[in-house]
Order: sequence, then structure tokens, then C-alpha cells
Amino acid sequence: MLTVKKVSAGYSGKRVLFDITFNLDFGQCLSIIGPNGCGKTTLLKCIANLIDFDGEISLDGENLAKIKRRKLARKVAVLSQKNEMYFPYSVYDTVMLGRFSHIKPGLFAGEPTKKDIAAVNESIEAVGLSCLIDRQINTLSGGQLQRVFLARVLAQNPQIILLDEPTNHLDLKHQLELVDYIKKWVGEGKEKRAVIGVFHDINIALRLTENVLFMDSGKLSRMGNFRDTADDEFLQNLFGVNVVSYMTENSRFWESMKNGRHLL
Amino acid sequence: MKTFPQWLKILLCIFSAIIALILGIGIGSVYITPGEIAAVIANKIFALPLPETTTDITAAIIMNVRLPRAVAAFIVGAGLSAGGAVMQSVLANPLASGYTLGVASGASLGVTVTLFFGVTFLGIFTLPFMGFIFGLFTVLIAVTAASRFDRNTGSAAVILIGMVMSLFVNAVVTLLMGLNKDAAKSVIFWQMGSFSGMDNKTVLIIFPITLVIILLLLRYSRAMDLMTFGDEQALSAGVNSRFTKTLLLTLSSALTGAAVAFVGTIGFIDLIAPHAVRKIFGAKHKIVIPMSAVAGGGFMVLSDLLARTVIAPVELPVGAVTAIIGAPIFAYIFLKKSK
Repeated sequence: MLTVKKVSAGYSGKRVLFDITFNLDFGQCLSIIGPNGCGKTTLLKCIANLIDFDGEISLDGENLAKIKRRKLARKVAVLSQKNEMYFPYSVYDTVMLGRFSHIKPGLFAGEPTKKDIAAVNESIEAVGLSCLIDRQINTLSGGQLQRVFLARVLAQNPQIILLDEPTNHLDLKHQLELVDYIKKWVGEGKEKRAVIGVFHDINIALRLTENVLFMDSGKLSRMGNFRDTADDEFLQNLFGVNVVSYMTENSRFWESMKNGRHLL
Repeated sequence: MKTFPQWLKILLCIFSAIIALILGIGIGSVYITPGEIAAVIANKIFALPLPETTTDITAAIIMNVRLPRAVAAFIVGAGLSAGGAVMQSVLANPLASGYTLGVASGASLGVTVTLFFGVTFLGIFTLPFMGFIFGLFTVLIAVTAASRFDRNTGSAAVILIGMVMSLFVNAVVTLLMGLNKDAAKSVIFWQMGSFSGMDNKTVLIIFPITLVIILLLLRYSRAMDLMTFGDEQALSAGVNSRFTKTLLLTLSSALTGAAVAFVGTIGFIDLIAPHAVRKIFGAKHKIVIPMSAVAGGGFMVLSDLLARTVIAPVELPVGAVTAIIGAPIFAYIFLKKSK
């Protein structure tokens, strides 16, 4: 179980996250929902131990801030929206970098074992990129690239995957594929796995899971099943716009498109 | 080049570097054939007899002048290029080099202080020693300040503080040069870069430093691969960024510093060689670091050859030659890549 206890954090002395406390069981997904600047990404960064924070984050009772980077990487992986890439690596080599924390360095950098190679091939196959395995990543489309990074995260074989708006550069098909794949990854259930996702698009967030955590101005606002925790008024206050009306209008529009009814 | 297997490309690159070395040793006011070069080297190493056509003068030119100069140029080129490759990856910035972090400015300050105050505690090695120490010290200050400022020693912080340090140190150098015109002349002469003073002793000092540092860097090749994707990616994949970055920046600055201290500030090679190598061999550091060293070494030997032969007997500053040839090549590689 992932335990987040009284976590607060900030940048340059300014606090942006206040006393966040929640638990997440293995086998579960959690979508963090809230307006821009409410601290969603900061919370993910705390869990990945990328920034300093007050409070405690532990996995099965082990304090994540106190373990070594290599060990932490075998427990928590991050798939983010931003991926800088200036240098020409092949798809295979990029995914193999996900095995960094598993490969023991010898006199030099250490060589991947059969297990590492199998994990890499399996991950590349899982995201459907086997046909591009030798391609240089700087020649790929945005969607393909994000799938390469997903494969790298899978090859890392963590217990928790943190998704930081990973669908930003993807078209609808690839957004849905990514989210469905992640759900399947958690749901396989043989291993202790969980996912926490931050998405701009509420529909995509809900496609991952209805188990949500609402954030507002750096604070945990509500947590639980979306249907039980959110209502019309709450969402309007949170986002400053009538979310339910907007979604309903959209639904009506798409409903009318069904079977070409709008043409009648 | 994509159709060639990797091992063949590596062999071709090493072979080209050897050709560069043979040209570097053979061409000059006296032309020496590759056969004579091989005979003289075999004579020195295996005590084989010299052919009758090879005079003692030829042997002396090779062993005391051309060979140390070409080998020194090779090692300096190798060190600068491998150092540049590391800087670019560690700072996830394709334009980074040892100079970005102030190695060159620091070394200039060391040289200026030496000449200004007439320091001579290590004899002829005082100048390179002071250059090396000041260069390394400047980088260490920049990296330490960056790690205080940012707990993961973020690349943007390192580059910014490095550039500020560089500007500050350059200002001090200019100030000292303004106060002592004689020292200023010598500093400018040093800054232009030259291999003219290279002898066997110099080679024996820079060779082990360069080799050991390059071998140490190879241990971190996979961490460097991850660091090219940025700090957060590297951290979340298991790289202890703060430690690794500080170590790699220090090692690569020492590599650049050792090279710069002996021959002056020679630019561009640390940008061209790693970029050309990445284009031919791909981006994995396991290959990029040793091949940058080989390609950079070969390129430096050829640049030095041009510097001393184009308008002989006048010798051009080798730094100017690398920049004049290097800038268009670099622009070509870089612009072609971004198409």
C-alpha cells in the first residue's frame, strides 16, 4: 500500500502543497483532478522524490525518501508529458535505459542480462512498436515517441507508475490505447501494482478510473468514487465553469452524430 | 554509413585516425615516408636495425619533434572531444562544453596569475599546472554553487552559474592584463593555442591523465545515456543525479583542463567530434566517448598539420584552424540534423 502522510511542498520558499494525506492499495488506479496550478504535478514529484517535501511517503511501510535512487526506481516510475531528446538513440536502446536500476555495474557500466533483454522486448511488443525497434527516436511521431517512453517505464518494472499528463501530445486513438494499456497493466493483478494519473481531460481521467482525488489550491479537496464525491456545484466551484452543462451539451452533440441522425 | 555494421565503422574511424597520425608525423619541412616512420619507431621499441636510407637526423626529427607533437595533439584532441561529449550529455544540452562551465576562463586566469606574478615553483610545468588547477577550481565553484541552489544540481542552474563564473573570471583576466602589458602578450599567445612546445615529457604527463579519466567516464556511460533525456528522467530511472553529475562534470573538466593547460584554449573540436560521432555511431555513450576521443584526436592532428604547413614557416594558431574548419562543419552537421 502507498501511504502519503501530511505531505507539504513548495518552490523557492513558496508553499504550493498543503498537508496531503491519502492511501492507495495495490491493484488500484487513482486520478488526480483539479484546475491548473492546484499542485497535481507537485504531488507526483513528491511521490517520485524529485523535489524536497515535508511529511512522509511510504510503500508497504518503507519510507521512499530514505531509499537509494536505484532501489526507488524499481518501485516508482514516472511517465511525463515532457521528454527532452536531443540525441539519436534507437527505440531498443531507449527502452533498455528503463533497465538501468536492474543492471549491476561492473568494472565498466555493466551489461544487460537475458532477463533485461526479455523485459525490453516484452515492453516494446506490449506498446506495439516491435516493427520500429531499430528506428532512431528522433525520427518518430509524437504518439510513437510517447509509446517508446511508456515501454521504457514498463521495462523499469516498477510497482507504482505515476502518469504526469502523458496523453498531452497524443491523438484520441493513442490516448485511449495508452490509458487502456495502463489499466490492463494494473489489473493483471499477479504483482503488486498501482497507478496514479494526472490528466487535463476529465474524460480521460475517468476512463482510467472513477477513483479520484480532487485538488484545489494545493489542498486535498475530496477523495473517493467520482459519482459519490462530485456534484454539479462542487465541480463548478473547483473549475470556475459549469462542467456538467458543458459535458451534457457535448454528449447531446455526439449523440446526434450517432448513426448520422444529424443529417435527418 | 547506416548500411555499414558498427564494427566496420569503428575500424574505419580508428584507421582514419592512424592515417592522420602518419600524415602529422610525415609532413613538414622534411618529408618522411610512412615506411621510415615505422622503421624508426620499430627501432626505438624493438631495437630493430634502421634501414640504411634512414639517417639519424630523420630519426631525431621523428622521435624528438614530430612524434611527440602529433601524439600530444592526438591526446589533447581526444581529451577535449571526450570531455565535450560528457558535458553535452550530463547537461542535456547539445551546445555545452568544458568552456561553458568556465574551464577555459579559469585556466586563462591561472596562466595570467602565473605570468603576472612570475610564479615558477614547478619550472616549465608551472604554467600548465596553474592553468589546470584554476580551470578545475572554477568549475568546482560553479557546480558547488549550483548544487546549493538546486538539490538535484539542475542543468539549467549549472549552465547559468558556469556562464556567470566564466564572465567574472574573464573580467579578472582582462583586469590583470590591463595592469601588465608584457604578461598580457604572453597570455594572448597562450590563448591562441599551439603544439609547438610539445615534447616527450608533456606526452608522458597528459597521456595517463587522459586515459584514466576516459576509462572512469566509461563506467558511467549508461547513466549519461539517461541524463541526455533530462534531470527528471534520469532521476526517476534511478540515477543519483547530484552525485553522478558532480563527478562527471569534475572528471570531464579535468580532462578539458589538462588539455587546455598545456596547449591553450582550442575551441570547437569538443562540439564537432561528439556530434559527428553521434551521427555516425548513434548516441550510446559506450561508443560515443571512445569514438569521440579517436575522431577528435585525428581531427586535432590534422588541424595542427594545417596550422604549421599552410603558410610555413609561419605557424598559425591551431585554435583558429579548428574554429575555421570546425564552424562550417558543425553548422552542416547540426542544421542537417534538425531538418
